[in-house]
Parts: sequence; C-alpha cells; structure tokens
Amino acid sequence: MTAVLSLRNYTLDYLTGSRPLRVLQDITLDIAPGEVLGLVGESGSGKSTLAWAIMRHLPKNARELSGSIRLGDTDLRSLPPRELTRIRGRRIGMVFQDPSTALNPTLTVGRQVMETLVNNRGLGRREAWDLALELLGHVELRDPEALMRRYPHEISGGEKQRILIATAFGCRPELIVFDEPTTALDVITGARILDLFARLRAETGVAALYISHDLALVSRVADRVAVMKKGQLVEEAPAASIFARPAHEETRKLVAAVPRPENRLVHDRPGDRVLLAAEAVSVRYTRRRLFRPPPPPATRAVGFDIKAGEILGIVGESGSGKSSIARALTGLADFSGGIRFDGRPIGSARDMDGAYRRAVQIVFQHPDGSLNPRQTVGEILSRPLKLFGTGQANLSAEIGRLLEQVRLPAAYATRWPHQLSGGEKQRVAIARAFAARPSLVICDEITAPLDVSVQASIIELLLALRAETGAAYLFITHDINLIRQIAHRIAVMRRGELVDLLPIDAVDADHVHPYTRDLMAASPTPVG
Amino acid sequence: MTDLLRRLMRTPQGAIGLLLLAVLAAACLFGPWLAPHDPEKMDFLGRFRPLGAQNWFGADQFGRDVLSRLLVGARSTLPMALAATLLGTVAGAVVGTASAYLGGRWDEAIMRTIDAVMAVPGLLLALLLVSTLGNGAGNAMIAIAVTFAPGMARVTRAVALTVRGQDYVKSATVRGESASWIIFREMLPNVMAPVVIEATIRVSFAVMLFATLSFLGLGAQPPASEWGLMVAEARQYVHQAPWIIIAPSLAIAMTAIAFNLLGDGLRDAMNPRDER
Repeated sequence: MTAVLSLRNYTLDYLTGSRPLRVLQDITLDIAPGEVLGLVGESGSGKSTLAWAIMRHLPKNARELSGSIRLGDTDLRSLPPRELTRIRGRRIGMVFQDPSTALNPTLTVGRQVMETLVNNRGLGRREAWDLALELLGHVELRDPEALMRRYPHEISGGEKQRILIATAFGCRPELIVFDEPTTALDVITGARILDLFARLRAETGVAALYISHDLALVSRVADRVAVMKKGQLVEEAPAASIFARPAHEETRKLVAAVPRPENRLVHDRPGDRVLLAAEAVSVRYTRRRLFRPPPPPATRAVGFDIKAGEILGIVGESGSGKSSIARALTGLADFSGGIRFDGRPIGSARDMDGAYRRAVQIVFQHPDGSLNPRQTVGEILSRPLKLFGTGQANLSAEIGRLLEQVRLPAAYATRWPHQLSGGEKQRVAIARAFAARPSLVICDEITAPLDVSVQASIIELLLALRAETGAAYLFITHDINLIRQIAHRIAVMRRGELVDLLPIDAVDADHVHPYTRDLMAASPTPVG
Repeated sequence: MTDLLRRLMRTPQGAIGLLLLAVLAAACLFGPWLAPHDPEKMDFLGRFRPLGAQNWFGADQFGRDVLSRLLVGARSTLPMALAATLLGTVAGAVVGTASAYLGGRWDEAIMRTIDAVMAVPGLLLALLLVSTLGNGAGNAMIAIAVTFAPGMARVTRAVALTVRGQDYVKSATVRGESASWIIFREMLPNVMAPVVIEATIRVSFAVMLFATLSFLGLGAQPPASEWGLMVAEARQYVHQAPWIIIAPSLAIAMTAIAFNLLGDGLRDAMNPRDER
C-alpha cells in the first residue's frame, strides 16, 4: 500500500538577516493510510514548520532546498497555488492549536461549517447544512441546531475545537494535520477531545499527523511517534515502545522532563505560621447596572490559607475561577470578603499598601505579555528594586545578582525582551518577582505555554529559589501531574467554588469530592 | 538617537523622507539668503511671467518671484504647522492614554467630552478659538493644536486599551506603581508608534488648516508669503497662470509626502523588534 503522505530528504531554510537558518534538515517520513503519526519535540524544533510545509503555506523568506512532499501520488511542491487551494481542506485538513482564533468572529458557526462543506465536498447549501447538523451532533455537541446559529464568541473553547474537528473530518480528507489541538484547553476538555479524536479516527480511518509536546498525549493517540530536534528527525518508533525504551538522547531527555506525580520534588513540611488567609473571597467582574440582574460572581466565597513557605496548588478547568483568586489577592479585581496577611486584615485593594505589594508577587502565564517590550531586562528588574528599596546600594550589581539567581548571564541586563526565548522571558519575570524579596509568589499557569523540558527547568528554578528565600507559592495550574510533584496541598476549584482542599497524600483517598476524582482521572498517565 | 537615525536611513522611505525634510529645513533656515529676488518686490511688466530664466517658477499677479516667495514663506509655514501638530499630538496622546488607564467612569467622562468637541468641525472650532483668542499666527497654532488633540486622543486610547490589558501593565499595577509612571513609562512608549505615524500625516493637515485660516484673514496676513496664503491668493488666476497655484501646492504636497515617508520609516525604526 502506498503512503498517504511521504516526505523525502526535505530541507528548508529561513532567510533571516545575515545568513540562512536551517529549520528542517533532511526530513524523511511516511504516513500509511489510517495511521496516526505523532510528532514531538521542544519548541523551536521545527514541528509546526513541517506542518506548514505540508500545507504549502510557508512564509516569504522560506527557501526549500531539496526533497519532495507527496500526498498519495501528487507532488505537492510542484503544484501551482490554484491547485493547492483544491488540495487544502479537500485532501488535507488541519486543526489548529488555538480554537479561539481559528473561527471567523463575524460569521455564525453554522455558516462557516456549511461553507467549508460546500467548497470542499461540492454539496448544495441545503445538503451542506444538513450534513453540518449531523456532523456537529456526531461530535457530541448538545443541540447543534441552536449552536449553528451562534457566533464563535458565544460558545466555549472546547466546543469550538469540536466544531473544527468535526469540520475537518467532515470534508473526508486523506490526511489531517493536528497542531497541538488540546494545548489551549484544560485537562478535562482536552481528554474529551482526545476520546472524540480516537472515535472519529476509528470510524473514518483517516491518516493523521499529530503534533504535540505532550508525550503522554501523543503516546495515547498515535500509532508511531517521531521525535524532532533542531529540524532533524532523530528517532522514529512505534508509540507503544518509544517512550518506554527511548533510543536517542533527545527522546530520553523529553521523557525525563515529564512530570510524574510519584516523583516528589518537595520533601519538607511548611511552617505552622499562617501567612495569608482568604476568608469568603468572592470576585465579581462587571459593574452593577440598572435594570439588569447582576452577573454571577466569578468565584463564590472561597476560603483557604497559605502557611509560610508552603506550596499550595490550585487546580480546576478553565473558567473555574482559579485566576480570579490570583487577581483578587493582587488587587487586580474587586472582591468581597476579607484577606488576612500576616495577621493584618485587608478588606479591599485599597488596603494593599507597599508592604503587602512587596510581600505578595505574581508571575503571569504569558512571558511575552508580562515584560514591557520597550524596556530592557535591566530596566524591568531595576523597577521593583527602586520601588521597594530592596537593593539600592548598587543597582547594576543587584540586577546581575538577580539574573544569576534565575540562572541567566548578567550580560542579559542590556537585552530586549524580544531577544529572549519563552523560557528566558519567564525567568526574567520570576527574577522581577523575587527582586521584591516576597514571602508569597503567585504563579498563574506559568508553565502552561512552555514545553516539557523548559517547564522542568522552570520548576527546578522555582524550588531552588524557595529553598534560598523561603517564599511560599500559590501555584495555579491545570497540569495535575506537575502539581502533585511539588504542592503540599491542593485546592480544587469548579465553577467558582472550592470543592476540595486536600493535603497532597490524600488526593487518591476515598473521601475526595467526585469532581476531584474526575480531574485526577482525566490527567494523562505519564509515559515511560 | 543616532542609532534611530541610522536605522531610519536604512529604510528607503526613511531615507527619502529625511532627504525631503532636509531640503525643507534648508529652506526654513536659509530661505531669505537663497532667494534670488526680494519676495515682496513688485514688477508690473513681469505680471504672470511664465517659468523661465528670469523667474524660475514664474511670477505672480504682481510680478513677484514665486520661487523667492516659496523659499521665504517656508519659514512662516513649516515651523508653525510642526509646532501645532506636536502640541496637539502630545496633549492628545497623554489624554488618550490616561483615559484608557483610568477606565470606567473617568474614561466615559473624558471620551464623551472629546466626542462633544469632535462634533464641531475642525475648521469651525479653529475659527471659534482664533476669534476668541485674537488674530495672529501664534493663536492660530494653539487653535490647530486644540483641534487636533481630540482625534489624537481617540487614536491613542484605542491602542492604549489593548496595551492596558497586557500583563506588564498589570504587573506594574500589582507592584503599586503610581498612575503617572504607568501612563508615561509603561503605556505611552508602547502606543507611540501609531501615534507618531498619525502625527506625521497630520502635519500636512496643519499646513492646510493654517492656509485656510490665513485665507480667511485670521492667520498670516498679506503680503506674507505663507504657502497656504499663496494658494488662496492665486486661486482666481488659475486659468491665466497655473504655476502661481501649482508651485505652493507642490510645496505643501512635498511637505506632506516627506512627513508621511518619515512616519513610515519611523514606525520601522522605532520598533526594537526590527533587527535590520
């Protein structure tokens, strides 16, 4: 049987400034009919570029040096743009990472699905509409009829991703490229999407290229797995064996970086002194308006405490109010209820004085957004030092010390944020938080946008900093395996309520809330 | 600064824009010495004299040399237009950013006031202000700045709203930074790029507004050779001697193009992400 997709010695350069940058080097791979090939690797290893090369949608500065890309018996590289339009969607489908930007916000969902079907299946509008209804019903969306009349902003991310998957499968392509389709979704939603993927695949027998940096996930969906490093395929083996017996060093590195709940990284016990106590904190976003019922609060009367030096994990699906807690504690959102910090009552954001703001620091999720692009790393770090007076003596020496503390060279002080990688930016953001010598650092999903190996090094850094400074962490995440490695206690949130607050060794116990059990079950079993 | 200039010269738009601006600056600085004739010397035998060796750009209805008038007039046209734009831009950018930062009721109050001001046509507003403040170039400049500020505030606010949602602004808020630090140091540098471009486009509008005010007798007064005034005066002779109107119009157009090109160049040069 001939392969659905076959690449032979494919090499690609990007022309950047002075010299060309090799992005893909001599890639040779085949995907057989009905097969799912998983593609894993660190960010920057060329996974997504490979996907775009297959879709024939490369940036202007891309130069293909050699090799061929064949879909069945069609040579994709030699096709003119007009022919390619007919291939895309019809013979190769694609599902993107971020469902929120993959749909046009100005058209109803139904119209977009229908038009795709009209274009790619040659159906009439009526038939396409009926087929769309059927497809959406098939991916377990409730009430597809009503859903199709809605606009993308009126439905959730999980629903959007279901719609995109349904559309991609509905066009009956030979191959579907999935570019990290569950990364932007929370654990439970992601797990359901994966079940859906497995079912649709079994039904249609379509071949797929599944790109992800989540090894556990790939080993669940793929038949074979290919590992990429710096534009080269370094290992290719059946999914069942590759992570259990990794042959190449890169694969071993990736496997080693996967967080395992049984492998605890924190062994000490926190002190008994309560550092911060939240009492019935509820966060409400919109202003009260005339003639309209007030919207439901983002969190409802949440109460918990954090002890000095403790790591408290907050987990839950997206929209459960995890980040709202972080926003309330830092004064970014109005809240009712009270906070006690070091025994001092804080009733609202107005009560947060310099001492509180110095002691409670936050690190945000997206390192790109959290550093001002018009300030150098040195300026960014100097600000908290000046503001809190935590290192007035010699500013540049202090900045150097901070950078070294987060394992970055002191010379980085003169760099701009855009010259750093995602992991390095996150280190600078962490350094900025620690510049204030805080006693509590709130980490709001700080590892979510990073790939496994970078994530592991950031966690290692956080734990080292904790050992140095004794800071407590409020660690918000949806990565259950990760939080089980480091947290002393875990708070489980659902729809704005705190459903469980457990010591780490009790999460598998019988008396936990059913939702906690679901959440633990939905997190993928680590590979290897 | 030299670095910015170097980066500016590397883009074709920036280089051409700078070149044109250099010509204009030379006219502003050395115009009276470069001018071949006295700009106000009338010559009744040379009325409507076409382009030629005697008058390179022709002569106007009083036989005055058009080129000399342009060179001398640059001085009363460009600095005023620039100053008015600068003043309006700075005021508008600060108000817009502050409004986006404050948000809520403050934002509402500031923006509705601006809407009310913008409801009055720009020229009418400028006329109103000049007639209140009194005639003269200085007052015309203030009037134009006030006319420009609301539009700039709107443009800036739109950009500043997205910037305000960024985590680095939140981070500064959490740190307990003052409002002025957040507005001037965290937000303004990140909204400057579109504001600078908008401003460079507005320089040409400022030239035209000055011209209109002068035409109405509220800005520069005849026999001054302000460019807009020259266009206004030459209107009625457009069939007899088109060059009298074309020359100052081209000068204004060149100013507009120069600033637009500079704006494009600046946008690229001011972006630290641009590694060229």
